[in-house]
Amino acid sequence: MINTILCALGLSYAGMASLSLAMDRHHGQVWGRDAAPNVRRALQLAGALLLALAIWPCVAGWSATVGVVAWLGFIGAGALPVALLLPYAPRLLLRSSLLAAVAALAGLVTFLR
Amino acid sequence: MNAVKVDKVLKTPQQGGLRQAMAWLHTWSGLWISWLLFAIFLTGTLAVFDDPIGHWMTPEHALEEAAHANDPPLPKVTDRAHRLELALDFMAKEHPKADMWEIWPVQRPGHGLSAYWFQPSGGYGSADLDPLTGAVIEHAREATERETIGGHHFVDFHYELHAGRIGVWIVAITTMIMLVALVSGVITHKRIFKDFFTFRPAKGQRSWLDAHNAVAVLTLPFQFMIAYTGLAFFSDDYVPAPVVAQYGMDNPKKAFLADWNDAGKPERIGQPLAIPALESFALRAEQAIGQEIRAVVLDNPNDASMRVCMYGWNEDTELLMRLSANTGRACYALATGEQVAVRLPGKSDTGGAGLTRSVMSNLHMVGFGGTPMRWLYFFCGLAGTAMMGTGAILFLVKRRQKAGGEFGAYTQRVYRVIACLNVAAIAGLSIACVGFLWANRLIPVGLEHRAGWEVRAFFGVWFLMLVHACLRAEKRAWIEQLCLLAALCLLLPVLNVLSTGDNLVAQVVRGDWESAGVELGSMAFGLLAGWGAWKVHTRKEKPARKAAAKEGPAPSASLQVTTEGQS
Repeated sequence: MINTILCALGLSYAGMASLSLAMDRHHGQVWGRDAAPNVRRALQLAGALLLALAIWPCVAGWSATVGVVAWLGFIGAGALPVALLLPYAPRLLLRSSLLAAVAALAGLVTFLR
Repeated sequence: MNAVKVDKVLKTPQQGGLRQAMAWLHTWSGLWISWLLFAIFLTGTLAVFDDPIGHWMTPEHALEEAAHANDPPLPKVTDRAHRLELALDFMAKEHPKADMWEIWPVQRPGHGLSAYWFQPSGGYGSADLDPLTGAVIEHAREATERETIGGHHFVDFHYELHAGRIGVWIVAITTMIMLVALVSGVITHKRIFKDFFTFRPAKGQRSWLDAHNAVAVLTLPFQFMIAYTGLAFFSDDYVPAPVVAQYGMDNPKKAFLADWNDAGKPERIGQPLAIPALESFALRAEQAIGQEIRAVVLDNPNDASMRVCMYGWNEDTELLMRLSANTGRACYALATGEQVAVRLPGKSDTGGAGLTRSVMSNLHMVGFGGTPMRWLYFFCGLAGTAMMGTGAILFLVKRRQKAGGEFGAYTQRVYRVIACLNVAAIAGLSIACVGFLWANRLIPVGLEHRAGWEVRAFFGVWFLMLVHACLRAEKRAWIEQLCLLAALCLLLPVLNVLSTGDNLVAQVVRGDWESAGVELGSMAFGLLAGWGAWKVHTRKEKPARKAAAKEGPAPSASLQVTTEGQS
């Protein structure tokens, strides 16, 4: 179960962070300039993909019905720290979300069986 | 102020278009319910953990449980047939006239034997029986046993304010207005996607607005769901017309619930019929539903129409996977021995509507998904609570920059009342909640009607905080109440050591995470309150006009209150 939670939370957090960094205002908070159009596209795509992937551990860990409810909850829970970290520690947001994405994607392997 | 200028600055909601009208609706509907809604949300959030809180509030039980934690598990009950007979004998002797006998042959926890029936006066009667002899077990409350309603206080307060049906209706109307405020808030917030992750700290009014928007928007699905399912929970109370239309004016709800919960209940025929041994039916039912039997319900005992229904237990692992908390159920007509109805676990015997109803209430009560889901609800609930609190505070922060003049000559006095209510509803209620836990340890254990005094302490503390908020200047009131809250929360573990001798380290060592969780959670809230008190204390009072100029074009254009006042 702990695997499920960490995976889902990591993916939603990284997904939401990626979506936020695709926005000029928040891109500027981290890198000090607006995002190039193709970078923005890439970040949006990565964010959407990570959020979509977060449904996998939820459904695998609970069930199709409970998992969808959990997924909606995790997406909200993943977005709150992004909003909080952006003004206070934008660099930390970048690093921690990268770490979360890598760890959670690696964790997904455990659901392959 | 001349007439021309009034013309220019005063806009009615109708003149400002939809968004302005919705902003007005959001501000004013939201303000008046925010205090009550804050209370409902905070207690509802705590109610997620009503079991651990109740566990902490019965330390004698908690310590006894801990002493037996390493005992080998009780052996599985093998004499169920005998137990069923003992309970049937008891019912035949003591309550032969009751038209429903209910037996729990392997009551959990502890594998007891219990019988239930409807009293002639209404309500449930119950008796615990000795599983070997069938004798009634008398439960004399021991003098050392702490009488308390425990964490259930938060559940009850949250849906009926301890005021019975009137409370249920007050909560209903408040919830309905909350849905209005959610919808109007979404329409009002025109930069909902642009500002999705935006929080700008230390910027006064803008920060409050950002915080209000962020917690609301980021957890919006949860807030809609919890408000909507809360209403759906009591739908047959709130919208009784369809039930009356179907069942007539004569006690329609009872007929509706009878149909709803048990459509196939047989009518008495009047011919006598002996009760057969029920164990064979229990075994058949276990085959049919795939669950261990929890309750055996006998309708019309000793009548030829007699029917027995067997209900199963939901195991924890099953509730992890299912949104519906319906157990399995199989019914048999005893005259023929024929299986007349079967419901598999998680399914409904009243079709899609029935399943929807049970899923809705279970969604609200988080009766699925286990502990992780409870924590998710807890944090989303806290976000909702923060949404109410920041909204109420924002109203005044905004008017401190620039008075709205909404109440003419009384404006400043109304603002003062709102300020008092803000302090009492937000800091004061939080103090009352932790005060309830303090009362649990401070009120003498042997006191008559002790549980009632704990609840009275909750309301008493809350009332005192309201009085305090009215007597002190707003800023002082905030600081003092937040400091008191921080102290009560942080010292809760100390109180526990002094009153029961149990401490946080011991709880963790023996693996009692329910007790430890309550105390650690309380300390976390204490730190938060202390930080809040410090923030209020160090806040600089900027001259209103200068501050307004520095902020530039307010993002709050999206939340503009339309009566712009007499500047």
